Amino acid sequence: MVKNRIENLLLKVKSPSRYIGGELNSVVKDKSKVDVRFAFCFPDSYEVGMSHLGMKILYSLKNKRENFWCERVFAPWVDFEQLMRENDIPLYALESLDPVKDFDFIGFTIQYELCYTNILNMLDLAGLPVKAKDRTDDMPIVVAGGPCVCNPEPLVDFIDLFIIGEGEEVNLELMDLYADLKKRGCSKKEFLEAAAEIEGIYVPSFYDVYYNDDGTVKDVVSNSSHAPHIVRKRIIRNLDEVFYPESFVVPYCEIVHDRAVVEVLRGCIRGCRFCQAGFIYRPFREKSSDTIVKQTKSLCESTGYEEVSLSSLSTSDLSDINETLTQLSDYTEKENVNLSLPSMRIDKFSGELMEQIQKVRKSGLTFAPEAGTQRLRDVINKNITEEEIIRACRLAFFEGGYTAVKLYFMLGLPTETDDDIRGIAELAEKITDLFYSNPNRPRGKHIQISISCATFVPKPFTPFEFEPQASEAEIKHKQKLLLDSIRSRKRINVSWHNYRVSILEAVLAKGDRRLCDTIYEAWRLGCKFDGWDELYRYDLWLKAFEKTGVDVDFYAHRARAYDEVMPWQHLDYLVSKEFLVKENQKAREGVTTPNCREKCSGCGVSKCIGGACFGKDKS
Amino acid sequence: MEKINLRARFEKSGRAVYISHLDLMRTMQRAFKRSKIPVWYTEGFNPHIYLNFPLALSLGVIGRAEFMDFAVTEPADFAALRDSLNREMPEGLRILEIFEPQYENKDVGFADYRIDFHGGAEPCETLSMLEKMLAEDKIEVDKRSKSKGMVKTDIKPHINVMETELCDGFLRVFVRLPAGLKMNINAGVFTDAFADYSKIEFTKICAERTKILCLDGQDFI
Repeated sequence: MVKNRIENLLLKVKSPSRYIGGELNSVVKDKSKVDVRFAFCFPDSYEVGMSHLGMKILYSLKNKRENFWCERVFAPWVDFEQLMRENDIPLYALESLDPVKDFDFIGFTIQYELCYTNILNMLDLAGLPVKAKDRTDDMPIVVAGGPCVCNPEPLVDFIDLFIIGEGEEVNLELMDLYADLKKRGCSKKEFLEAAAEIEGIYVPSFYDVYYNDDGTVKDVVSNSSHAPHIVRKRIIRNLDEVFYPESFVVPYCEIVHDRAVVEVLRGCIRGCRFCQAGFIYRPFREKSSDTIVKQTKSLCESTGYEEVSLSSLSTSDLSDINETLTQLSDYTEKENVNLSLPSMRIDKFSGELMEQIQKVRKSGLTFAPEAGTQRLRDVINKNITEEEIIRACRLAFFEGGYTAVKLYFMLGLPTETDDDIRGIAELAEKITDLFYSNPNRPRGKHIQISISCATFVPKPFTPFEFEPQASEAEIKHKQKLLLDSIRSRKRINVSWHNYRVSILEAVLAKGDRRLCDTIYEAWRLGCKFDGWDELYRYDLWLKAFEKTGVDVDFYAHRARAYDEVMPWQHLDYLVSKEFLVKENQKAREGVTTPNCREKCSGCGVSKCIGGACFGKDKS
Repeated sequence: MEKINLRARFEKSGRAVYISHLDLMRTMQRAFKRSKIPVWYTEGFNPHIYLNFPLALSLGVIGRAEFMDFAVTEPADFAALRDSLNREMPEGLRILEIFEPQYENKDVGFADYRIDFHGGAEPCETLSMLEKMLAEDKIEVDKRSKSKGMVKTDIKPHINVMETELCDGFLRVFVRLPAGLKMNINAGVFTDAFADYSKIEFTKICAERTKILCLDGQDFI
């Protein structure tokens, strides 16, 4: 039995409670009484994966069905992985401690590009061939979903099928189909054929890719009568009524987001042109305040968490945010529960909201202007003015007593010039001056401004999918210029993400099928946990690029024409390509687009859902 | 608000032995919260459930009589409190009884352990090695000191092996070790010292803390 064998090893590794299961609210069933066993894999550490809301939703959803049993699997940290390999312990699921190779499904949720090598490593650790073509009919079906599968092409060699869009309905349809075909003794191929007919299921082996002489994609064509030419993503029509867990598995060790989380809305009205989530999760749908309050109470009571967070891409865009907060704080104050509100927009920052945030604890404030000048903020359609930033900071300093502000920016945005970089420094200096202009500022206190700069990564299904990523030399120049432009070095500190990580993100995000070999090679060379600075091996990735003949510039640093066939062209995320082109042109002209609530920008989503997203014509 | 101080004796076994001390604190706070008993919160800007553990237990060691202090805001029946809490305890944690504390943290002086040394050698050989070690003038181990970093410490005077039992495939040792604020030797320090001295490669060492005692030898309650 796996349990006895791992118990001997657990005291030799860091944080062993994450490898043994048994957490509160974890679901244990009698395996002889279920039809379909699903190993839900998060290709990163327990602490990261257990914080992920999508996994919590699908875990509860599947387990609510009596005949399905969904279990959790995470990537073991390197110390435990080594012991597992030395002792021939295969990757196992936390509920039953059974090897995942004996399951019906292995499902990965893919949240970021930097976990791709972990997917291969987990399959290998499970004792399975990492390539789909090498796995036989007696092995589990390997599926994947999540935001990254909007361009699944770099992973097609390893995954049998992808789940495109929101999972609440299609996951159950897929498992029902499997249960049915399993009873009838169908082959894997027959299952994949039937699955390909479900809306939102993409079986990559049923598609052939043709290339032009210049290396760009010429066409992606279905080679099976079961597979549609275009796979359209699934969406949940009514978010207020969709399944939501009444309880979460409560871990023993501290995880990244160690709190109850209530999803309050899906999609985003904003249309920031760099933001993939803002486009691929459209349309905007929200929950009523009654539902939010009910779900908050239920989660807090079943978990004992002392903190609840209202989660979404932009929580301040909830229509009745103030009413919801009033209702919620009646409950949370009585129960000593902290309410946290991430993802608040700077232009929505009010005295009322500040008061709510402060009830939790007065940590620093974080705003994301993303760009240093109004011109560039208009290019990216951030729709935030300098006055709004200053107003929010004035409120925070003069009335809130804050002394620390964190500002997020991106470097290497399309059309960015040196003036835009200097603008970041100027904005930070203005905020510093504002702080000291307050006659009632806390005595002896100084302002601390942290500027955090990410490198812009162009992503599929955004108006910037056509854009090249800035080169390393350009980014280095921008970083130096920013540092040189800051006068108050003591009060303003600057940090940035590792460029060499961002470049891998760019290649993988916009890559095609030919990158499967590269990922395989990188993994074979020892790459894993690429998102972890201490384990990231850029040198090995360079070797893998070289060995597989991949030109980084071709994928990351090349501007793509509007009429270029993208490797993900056969997937439909409801937002039309014409709209992305139009938005890209507007970006070039520095023209903004109003948010969806103000005016429909005609992105194509409303046509797909058969009615307007907002107002009286709402579908 | 009224504050009635209480102490719980609890068991930590099974999968719960892998819960670290810090994590145990969080796990217990959440169980208290779910139980809805009238537990007392600390007063201040960020109120939280007050919990205090008179003696921490090392990761991996089973605890049969661990203690945890908390407070309630209104008088309550001890057995009912215990049952309410036990309904919310995760696997491996169980409250055995609740009572009013008699001693304070600083009174803790010793802890009794039952330790099974499995494999590596015949139990009788293990025993003779243990006897040999105990007959030495000194048993030096590296111990972390607050001011001087790692220092060599002689633990020999502090090890009180009370009984040994030759069992099928393992040697069982009952040992009393100093615990608490003045002098603290974890079971792990003793088992590491023995493994190091005997050069026996044990396949498994199972340690269980069976009792906590005061400096004067009374049971800590």
